[in-house]
Amino acid sequence: MPHILIVDDDREIRELLARFLERNRFRVTAVRDGREARRNWPLGHYQLVVLDLMLPGESGLDLARWLRTQSDVPIVMLTAMGEETDRIIGLELGADDYVPKPFNPRELLARIRAVLRRTSERTEKLVEPAAKSVRFSGWTLEPSRRRLLNPDGVEVALTGGEYDLLVALVERANRVLTRDMLLDLLRGRQAGPFDRAIDVAISRLRRKLEDDGRHAQLIKTVRGGGYVLAADIDRG
Amino acid sequence: MFWPPTLIAADGSHLPARAAEQATEQEKPAAKRRLPPAWPHSLANRTLLTLLLGLVVVQAAGLTIHAFDRIELQRFAELREIGIRVMSIYRSVVATSVGERAVTLKEMELGPGVTGAIADNPPAVPELTPPPYLGQIRVNMGLVPVRAANRAREVQIRGTPWSEMIVVAMEFPDQGWLVLRVPVPRPRPWHSPTFLLAFVLMTVAAAVLSFWAVRRLTRPVSLLAEAAERLGRDVNAPPLPETGPDEVIRAAVAFNTMAARIRRFVQDRTFMISAIGHDLRTPITRLKLRAEFIDDDEQRHKFMADLDELDAMVSATLVFGRDTADTEPAVAFDLVALLRTVLDDCADARPERADALSFTGPTHLTVTGRILALKRSFANLVGNAVKYGDAARVTLNVADGQAVVTVEDDGPGLPPDELERIFEPFYRVEDSRNRETGGTGLGLPIARNILRAHGGDVVLGNRAGGGARAVVTLPA
Repeated sequence: MPHILIVDDDREIRELLARFLERNRFRVTAVRDGREARRNWPLGHYQLVVLDLMLPGESGLDLARWLRTQSDVPIVMLTAMGEETDRIIGLELGADDYVPKPFNPRELLARIRAVLRRTSERTEKLVEPAAKSVRFSGWTLEPSRRRLLNPDGVEVALTGGEYDLLVALVERANRVLTRDMLLDLLRGRQAGPFDRAIDVAISRLRRKLEDDGRHAQLIKTVRGGGYVLAADIDRG
Repeated sequence: MFWPPTLIAADGSHLPARAAEQATEQEKPAAKRRLPPAWPHSLANRTLLTLLLGLVVVQAAGLTIHAFDRIELQRFAELREIGIRVMSIYRSVVATSVGERAVTLKEMELGPGVTGAIADNPPAVPELTPPPYLGQIRVNMGLVPVRAANRAREVQIRGTPWSEMIVVAMEFPDQGWLVLRVPVPRPRPWHSPTFLLAFVLMTVAAAVLSFWAVRRLTRPVSLLAEAAERLGRDVNAPPLPETGPDEVIRAAVAFNTMAARIRRFVQDRTFMISAIGHDLRTPITRLKLRAEFIDDDEQRHKFMADLDELDAMVSATLVFGRDTADTEPAVAFDLVALLRTVLDDCADARPERADALSFTGPTHLTVTGRILALKRSFANLVGNAVKYGDAARVTLNVADGQAVVTVEDDGPGLPPDELERIFEPFYRVEDSRNRETGGTGLGLPIARNILRAHGGDVVLGNRAGGGARAVVTLPA
């Protein structure tokens, strides 16, 4: 049973969230601020930290920075509503995901599961989330800012699903990923039916990457139901 | 915690700046129409026109005075010469005997145009006018010394009406008259060529100087107008330079003070809205967590839906309040990819409407702007089209350095008199867009605020075939 550390200054939220996660078969320790978190850190072997960005005293960002010096435990940040700068800083510090407050408990649950699934295979990952930028075929992916730049340095907007799909493909470049694998990697991210959506998202992604669907060079279709990103990856 | 009444006022009265902006936009064309067509519109041109008209009048008067003066001067010089010449001829003729006078006169060099005759009586020619000429000639005639015995018994000075010809008749002391006809040259007031050149130079110099001075004097006014325009778009626009003549400095200081007050007002409002939003976040989060412990599935769903709506309203309010203080940097991005992303997101959220979403336009268009803010802006427009019009057909065109994005739907359209009011915060069109369909009443104001901050705009209209159409312009 994965052990989760919750850091949030609101007692009610802490308790409700703990109850909710326990009901969904997690072990939960909940603390109110950075000091308690530091005191509790050595006491348990935590698989994931849910961290509120706005804490009394030491801020969530400082605590995340400290946690990063201790281990590469995955962190899900609870951010203020849509505050982009906080979000970007959080991701640059190596938070694995963020959920804006007020969050939907089920969405938070799905994100936690997705992050755990992704990080459980972190050893075989080619790209750490904290990497500043990743280049492939002239395109630049900036995980820290969740954005894609075309060869001219112009930002190309992606939907959340497209972005996650592209990250999954880039992280496992030149390896064939079946639809099931992609679904497994991405589930929880996308609310709603995503099964058929893989093909839809692939075709949208190809269009944005200017990859002609019929003679795709970048994201190739593999006979038997799978996709592969064929490109040299240059991490910077 | 409280909701300040100004926030929920439906008439948007808490936004004086915006209201004023709309008012001026409506009045501007009317003010222009009242003017006569020939009268220039700009202050600079009006002042220049007035100055030049004045200059023309002054120069004309000056020229006239100068001309009269010169004519007078020439006249006097000529009369002087005439007086002396006439007297010299007389002196020579009177010295000879009565019988020889005609011959002497004939043999004499009289001067250009002068004719002379010996007569028994003076000719019947009217008295010379104006009288001063008469006196002038007499005075000049007196300057030539004549022996007392030879002095003329009588002198008559006469002339043609415009004094082109002066007739001097002098009675010899013994017998007969000497009659001399002397032409008076026409006055030539513009005789000197350098004078005219100097005059033209003077006029041109004065005109150029007035042009320069007017431009310089009216520049602060246009600067003020530009600054006001900038302030309307961005309350954090840089202040006016407080330099120049006293009046300009005073106007600049007053303007900057006003801008600072508006900025304070906006900041206070932003801060207040943000504070409310932040405070609401915690109880909403708690409620969402509590909802998970409701066993009745149907009730839980409804509870969640209510909370989501509340959440959306609070976030829209926060976005609206924070918009001006947004710190997102401007980047170069592909507008086409952005529009496609907005449509794809919309299709993911409303799969049943996916077929009614379409994009037409070029494959790429790079523009510069705050990508997340613009995405929100377009998402609001597309979301509105789908929510109230069941479709969103997005087209992108580029014309005159502007990207023009239209979003069309298949809904009932909008009442024509509400096309502008709908951009007021919390405004709702009656009937078709009531609370039943949800929404925060802030989507369109947010979209417009963001676009205007980018130097663009959005207006709503109705399509000929029914349905609404939003037209977005954005500098490309």
